[in-house]
Formats: sequence, C-alpha cells, structure tokens
Amino acid sequence: MQKEKDIIQGCLSGSRRDQELLYRRYAPKLYAVCLQYAGNTEEARDVLQEGFIKIFENLSRYSHEGSFEGWMRRIIVNTALERYRNRYYLSRVDDIDEVGEPEAEPDTDDFAGLEAYDLLNMIMELPPKYRMVFNLYAIEGYSHKEIGEMLGISEGTSKSNLSRARVILQKKVALLTGVTRRMVNV
Amino acid sequence: MFNREPNIDVLFRNGLKDMEVLPPSDVWDNIPPLPVKRSPLRIITGIAAGVAAVASLAVLASWYTRSNNATADRLPELAIVSGSQQAVRVRGTETPPVTTRADITTPVNETISMPAERNREEALTVPDNQPLHLLAQAEMTPVKAKDDNPVSFSPEDVTIIASGYFSDSDDLKKENIILSADENAPQRFMVGASLSPAMGFTMPGQDPGVNELENGESGRSSYTTGLTFGYKISDRLTIHSGIGLASIGQTITDIDVFAGLSDFYSVKSNYLYTVQTASGLILAGNTDLYLADSRNRVASLVSGNMNDPSKYNLPQVGSDIRQVFRYLELPLMLRYKLIDRKVGLNLTGGVAYGFLVDNMAFTGQGSDLVRIGHTEGVSSHNFSSQLGLGMEYNTSSNVSFNFEPVFKYYVTPLSQITGSPYKPYSLGLFSGFFFKF
Repeated sequence: MQKEKDIIQGCLSGSRRDQELLYRRYAPKLYAVCLQYAGNTEEARDVLQEGFIKIFENLSRYSHEGSFEGWMRRIIVNTALERYRNRYYLSRVDDIDEVGEPEAEPDTDDFAGLEAYDLLNMIMELPPKYRMVFNLYAIEGYSHKEIGEMLGISEGTSKSNLSRARVILQKKVALLTGVTRRMVNV
Repeated sequence: MFNREPNIDVLFRNGLKDMEVLPPSDVWDNIPPLPVKRSPLRIITGIAAGVAAVASLAVLASWYTRSNNATADRLPELAIVSGSQQAVRVRGTETPPVTTRADITTPVNETISMPAERNREEALTVPDNQPLHLLAQAEMTPVKAKDDNPVSFSPEDVTIIASGYFSDSDDLKKENIILSADENAPQRFMVGASLSPAMGFTMPGQDPGVNELENGESGRSSYTTGLTFGYKISDRLTIHSGIGLASIGQTITDIDVFAGLSDFYSVKSNYLYTVQTASGLILAGNTDLYLADSRNRVASLVSGNMNDPSKYNLPQVGSDIRQVFRYLELPLMLRYKLIDRKVGLNLTGGVAYGFLVDNMAFTGQGSDLVRIGHTEGVSSHNFSSQLGLGMEYNTSSNVSFNFEPVFKYYVTPLSQITGSPYKPYSLGLFSGFFFKF
C-alpha cells in the first residue's frame, strides 16, 4: 500500500492518479462527516466535492505534523460551516415548548441495538442549528465559545441549542431503542 | 459532583467514529485536477512577458498613429478677430483607464482550532448482530430537510463500509491552520468587460489667458470602456492588462456655427477658421461652415466686410463646439483584495499608456451632427496613473461584478502647447464584470 506521504507528494506534482488514490482512500470517511453536517445527501455531496477541492488546493500547506486525516476533516468541517453560514442564520432561538423538557438521561444499556447509520440519521434529522452545535460540541469537541465564534452566535445560544439537540436525540434514541427492546424480548 | 459527559454525546461520538459511507460516484468527476505549483521564477517570467507585450503593442500603435496623423497647415494670412495668442492649457474630463478586477469567490480566511483534549471515555459496545429489519420498523417522525427532500436514510441508500468507536486520537492536537477558502485558486485567468464614466477636474492655472479660455468651456461626460485580461498571482493579488477606449473632451460654449458658406465664399486653404481653446487650436477643415464668437476666440480668413452671416442667410447648425479626444489605452494594473468575501473590497493601482486614435470637433444636436475639424496641440500619447478602492460582488465562483471609485491622474501633459503642461485628474466609477477560468 502506497505511503501517505508519497501520495501527497504525487498530488503536489500534479499526478491525477495520486489525487484519485487520495480521494478513494479518504472520501468514504469524510463523506460520513459531510452527512453529519449537511442534513441531506445532495448537500453532503456538494460539501464533499467542495471540501476535496479545498484539500487539494491547500495540500502544499500541510506541514506533515499531526494526522493528515484530521487535517482533512477540519477542512471538510470548515467547508460545511461556510455553506451553512451562507444559508442559515442562528439569531432566532426556538421556543423551548417546541422541544420539550429534557428527559432523564438514559443508561448506556439503553443504547443497545443502535446502528451507526441510525445515529447518523438522527443527527441528519435535527434542525440545522441544533445539528451544527451538536456536531461541533459533542463530536468535534469544540467549546461553546469556539462554536459561538465559528457560527456567529453567543455562547448562551450555543448552549441552548446543544441542550435542545440532546433532548431531541434522547427522545429519538428512546423511541428507537424502546422498539428494539420490545422486539428483542418477544 | 463530577462533570460527567452526557451519555448521549458519548453515544454519538463513539458510534460515528470511523464511520464510512460510500460517496456518490460523480463527485470525483467534478473535482478538477490539482494545478502544478508554479515557481516564483515562472511567475516573474510571465509578468515580464506581459509587460513586454504591452510595451510592444504601445510602440506599434504609436508608430501607426504618427503615420496617419494629418499635418496641420497654418493659414497663411490669419486675421485674429481679437485677443492674442497665449499659452493655453488643456482642460478636459478624464476617464480612468480600463482596469480589471481580481477574482472571485467568497474566500474567507478562517482559523480552526482543534478542541482541547478531553478525557477518554470508555468505549460503548454496540452489538452488530441486530437484524436490520428491526431498525427499519422504528417509528421515527420523518423530518423534511430544507429543500423538502426526505431525510430518511434507509439501509438500501447507503453502503456502510465500517463503523465503530470514536475516541480521542493523540494525533489530533490542538493546532491552528489558516484556510484559504478561495474556491477559485485554480481559476487563475480572467476576462472581462468594463465601463467607467467619469468627471474631470483641473487645478486653476497661473496663466490668466488660459483661465479665461476655460471659463468659456465646460466639461463633457467622459467614459472608458474596454476588455480586460487578468492573471492571479496569489490568493489576493492579481495583475491586469487589456485594451480600452477612453473618450474625453469638452464643450466650447457660445460659438454659433452656420452652414452653407461654400456657396458664397471659398479659399484655397484647408482651413477657413480657427478656434482657440484651452486644449489647443481647433482647425475648422469644414470650409462650408461659418463661425461666430462673442469672446474673441475665433480667427478667420474671411475678410471683415463679409463676416456677417445675415448677408448670406445661412442656417445655424449649432451654438457650441464639442471637442472629443479618444485614446486607446493599454493599462497595467494590480488589484489587491483587502476583504476576501462574497462581497469584497479591493484596492487597485497602476499605470496606463494611451495613444490618440481620434481627435475631432463637431457641432449639432442629436443625430444632426456636423464635423468642424480637429484640435491641434494635443499630445498623441500619454501616461496616466490611477488608484481605486471599491467593491467586488461574486455572484458565483466564475462571475463577479466590480464597482470602484477611481482617482486618475495624468503623469504626462495632454497638451503639447509650449508653456502649458496640463495634467488633469478625474474621479470616475469603474464598473465591470469578469469571468474566471
């Protein structure tokens, strides 16, 4: 298997073959990231395409320090955020009644039976602003301050959006795992 | 007591880690090849070649213009109606040369910082032995996406390659990277068209005679239009050149022009009248015209006792004379993006070489225009400099529109009349659109 460094060097030299090799190797994982942020397959495809264009354009700036996959992931996330900022605004805060009160946090045993694409589906079904904040906080690990700067919202808005996202996801998980548990026990 | 991370966060983070989904097959086809990184030497060579090409075109155009300019013959016996010959200054409205903009797109330089390292959570075991049909029967409320496409993500729609846990990697350090969101870095070339209306201004001169002439003249609306070609040197800096046509001039007021004189009077000369202006001397080569002026600017070969249009019952065709000078300009401009966004801010500056391609004086209204002659003493070529600061609107990754107030100043005088080094300046609005490729 060709080394990553050699592939990168080949890409910089203009080798289309190495560019495709790089794409084939990392596109599936990055496409999953795109789906997390996009909310639908068409938008995710655009984010992936745009993101890889930026990856190739900025390939010369990769300093070979740290994970190359992590570097690409950051570009993909940034691309998704940029497209999101151009389309949505986060100034409005939803009425708390629309979401409901948070339930007691489920136990880890309740998660049995969940598949990865179930989780992905749940995230994709979230309203865009909840989805963005949840992805950035729970998946990527950014702080509310950092999320606020990236999305142009306050820390308070980020926290409230995250809370509501969790409520929605908890309900979905409870609904899904509850059905699964009942069927397993039959 | 302890800050425990919510299980829901852990579930999703671990569940989506290393998840892979096969992307659509057409994505790769739409990713353009990565351009080969150009060395600085190649860039410098390219710029030098462009400058050489512009200089060569300028020399050729200058040679062509000189070989086609008519030589003015002074009237052998010129009777000055009144006033005296004095050094004159050229006053005209100037237009900025054709400039092109830089790129497009909504590039945004952003800093992304990785999250602080967090405590590694215990991996959550997700058994993969559950039947898929159980999951398909889950009662989940469908939520429509913004574009009304269903968001449901059934097993038949995706190909799961792998799924597993997500855990912190020691390699994912907190680091800052500067991303150039310039989507059009591969699109280094651009072509465009532009139109720049402008108004000209002059500083009050020292010569009272010229000032008096300028008092009897008014600036005409001027413009510059042309085609522009650009090359993107870096993310923010672009060099432009092209070819454009600049039209400047002024109106000499309070001069009555009558037609039909040739039926009553003729001379063996190419010119019957001259008109003194701040831009030079108009030689009226149209010998069918009779000119009358109340400010002693007109000189004529017509003898005094015949200097009365009423004797000939000539129809009046105009009450002023309009001077028009058209320059073919070859600009060399640099454009720097101060703000690189969808609506950006650019700073432009550069020089332009212009050579005179048209020099005429006419009168009349609407479509009934009568040519009078041309102006002597106007420089056949000039150098100008300009500075602009304006807005760029990127409608897409390939097309952009520019609106830039531009200040233009002529480095070389527009008039060759001895003692009148006239260097006007102008304020205009450059507007153009560009296509990047």
